[in-house]
Amino acid sequence: MVKTAAGEIGIAVAEAIRDAMTKATAGATIATYIEGKPPVAWEVLGDAGWDLAGVIEDEDSTSLRDLVEIAGAWGETLIQLPLVTSLAVKRHSVAAAEAEGPVTLSVPVRTLPNGTGFVPFGQVPGISIIDSVADGSPVRAFEGGNPLDFAPSLLAASSPGTTSLSAEARRELAVIWAAEAAGRAAKVLQEAIEFTKQRQQFGKPVGSFQAVKHHLANAHIAAEVAQTAAIWASLDDASTRQAVAQSFAQSLKSVQLSIQTYGGLGFTWEMGLHFSLRHITTLRELAAGVLNDA
Amino acid sequence: MPTETETASRKGFAEAARQWLEENVPERWRTHRSVMTEEEGYEIRREWDRQLHRGGYAGLSLPKEFGGQGLDVAEEVIFADLAGRAQAPDGLARIGRILTAPTLVAHGTQYQLGRFLPKILNGDEVWCQGFSEPDAGSDLAGVRCRAVKVDGGYAVTGRKIWTSFASVADRCLLLAQTDPAAARHKNLTMFLLDMKQPGVSISGIRQSSGLTHFAEVQFDNVFVADEDRVAGEGDGWKVAMTVLANERGGVEAASRYVEIRADMDSLQRAIGHLPEYQRQLEDYDSRVELIRWQVMKSIDYDKDSAEFLKAASVLKLWWSELWQQIAELGLETADATNVEHWRLQYLETRAASIYSGSSEIQRNIISERILGLPR
Ligand SMILES: Cc1cc2nc3c(=O)[nH]c(=O)nc-3n(C[C@H](O)[C@H](O)[C@H](O)COP(=O)(O)OP(=O)(O)OC[C@H]3O[C@@H](n4cnc5c(N)ncnc54)[C@H](O)[C@@H]3O)c2cc1C
Repeated sequence: MVKTAAGEIGIAVAEAIRDAMTKATAGATIATYIEGKPPVAWEVLGDAGWDLAGVIEDEDSTSLRDLVEIAGAWGETLIQLPLVTSLAVKRHSVAAAEAEGPVTLSVPVRTLPNGTGFVPFGQVPGISIIDSVADGSPVRAFEGGNPLDFAPSLLAASSPGTTSLSAEARRELAVIWAAEAAGRAAKVLQEAIEFTKQRQQFGKPVGSFQAVKHHLANAHIAAEVAQTAAIWASLDDASTRQAVAQSFAQSLKSVQLSIQTYGGLGFTWEMGLHFSLRHITTLRELAAGVLNDA
Repeated sequence: MPTETETASRKGFAEAARQWLEENVPERWRTHRSVMTEEEGYEIRREWDRQLHRGGYAGLSLPKEFGGQGLDVAEEVIFADLAGRAQAPDGLARIGRILTAPTLVAHGTQYQLGRFLPKILNGDEVWCQGFSEPDAGSDLAGVRCRAVKVDGGYAVTGRKIWTSFASVADRCLLLAQTDPAAARHKNLTMFLLDMKQPGVSISGIRQSSGLTHFAEVQFDNVFVADEDRVAGEGDGWKVAMTVLANERGGVEAASRYVEIRADMDSLQRAIGHLPEYQRQLEDYDSRVELIRWQVMKSIDYDKDSAEFLKAASVLKLWWSELWQQIAELGLETADATNVEHWRLQYLETRAASIYSGSSEIQRNIISERILGLPR
């Protein structure tokens, strides 16, 4: 039987990310930072070596299951920096791993015309891109492209041409993005719980009403299983496609239910709940893009 | 975390189990289970308990000294998975195996372990669970059935309802009130009651499916010895919580996976070629597999940790409601070759969101005890 728990590396890096990012954001809500400057500089992540956490050196190196743990922790933050993407690219390309700074890629997605790629974090100044993860392919500076702005958390741009990926890289990217989405869902739920404990109607916290409790219980089930599905995807090669699809479906279901408990507030721009929806639906598109591009 | 030797031994275990199942699952059950009579079904299931024991697959995670195999819950899950794929029957001894046995391991005396476990595991004694009463279903603390102290034991009088397997049971895991004056949660005691005594009357209750799997049980001054009391007088609530944790936990979910996987496979065989159901089938199929993954994930955590509770809390709701959806689709798409099966499953699975604690109660538990929402 498969061991479903992450290894030491995965757990340690995930914990470190949680600690450092909680400090860095100092409790600020996503809504306050997502449209401005990231609350942390890329250098902080680079100096900690987190962008190289996926590089494979020997059999004790980070497994895909470990990356699920790391991506989940990163997903909780929704900080608009290319950690997970860069980490995944650096795992699959020596040239990318050797490059200074973040590296991204270009993914074919359903919502862009054929031949045009979606470049996560393409709007980040100084980011590099790779045209192929095959050995010998260098990174180059990414210049321009049209900004894509549906998901500000991804600071994405479009680019002519898409990155050529190995089957393994495609699978891993899809799994990592699913895990990131599951982490996000868990975080939104945590915040919804806090919110419903505070928000009063009819003279008591709305979180004490059973209909609201059951929404959140369902959101818990969905978030919990979304993470399990990402773990499944990471450990069972043959089921990647269906497990990833299920993981995204459950993450979205969870966030939708959490948002319901905010009432009208959940529908406002400034509360920022929509950033999570935007992020997850966009990651789902990216995952489908890499999986379908076989 | 399992070590390498554990991983290797689990692989060996899985290979041997697969082979054993291939040779032992009754062909008739595989092909005719939806059309056989209740009696025939019972007979095959009873025999299956004995086969499991002979093959060394009964009580996989129970101590060796009492007839178990001394393995981990992981092996239970591996076996349930393989049994599901092999379309193995579900034994009649499920209450004894899944509820009584681990409860006795946690709270029982040496005498109780020695007296009851071996017979649970070899299929000789069938158990039932006497918790629910006409006026105490979801509110288990409201149990009224009385156990009054007499010389050497207790005299039990009262009514239980919805008691599954009562008509075939040798023993009952009985929750009774021992002190009506005591505070809520302190007035109950758990007993191991002999069902084949004078004073026990059982009247079968016909279910909506037409089957009679449960019954109303009346106890009239029925004796239960002191040595058959589990833990102390007044500890019944605590013991009942162990029982419920097992009833909603990993081994139960792994064993339900067996049945649900079999239904899912039938559904796929029947309508898998129809394009209009592709998406739905894939969704259901993934969710069925997630029962297994969720169980595996939860057993990787320490039993007392918050992560374990969080992971395990979703199991009962997850499998029970999914099973209902599968049966609904089965019924909706049934043809002449399988309509009997799906009509039965459709009606039978209505109960899945009620027994072992209703879905509403489960969601209350998640929201209050796992998520910490106010009462
Ligand atoms: C097939 C089957 C087999 C069973 N086998 C056994 C057995 O072997 N042994 C045994 O002891 N019991 C058994 N049961 C009984 C089962 O545990 C109870 O039916 C169950 O706990 C619900 O109790 P109730 O039927 O009295 O419903 P009630 O408690 O009367 O509930 C009625 C409805 O109200 C809802 N409700 C009640 N309280 C709340 C609340 N606080 N918040 C929200 N909703 C609430 C319930 O969810 C339910 O929908 C079995 C039941 C079935 C259907």
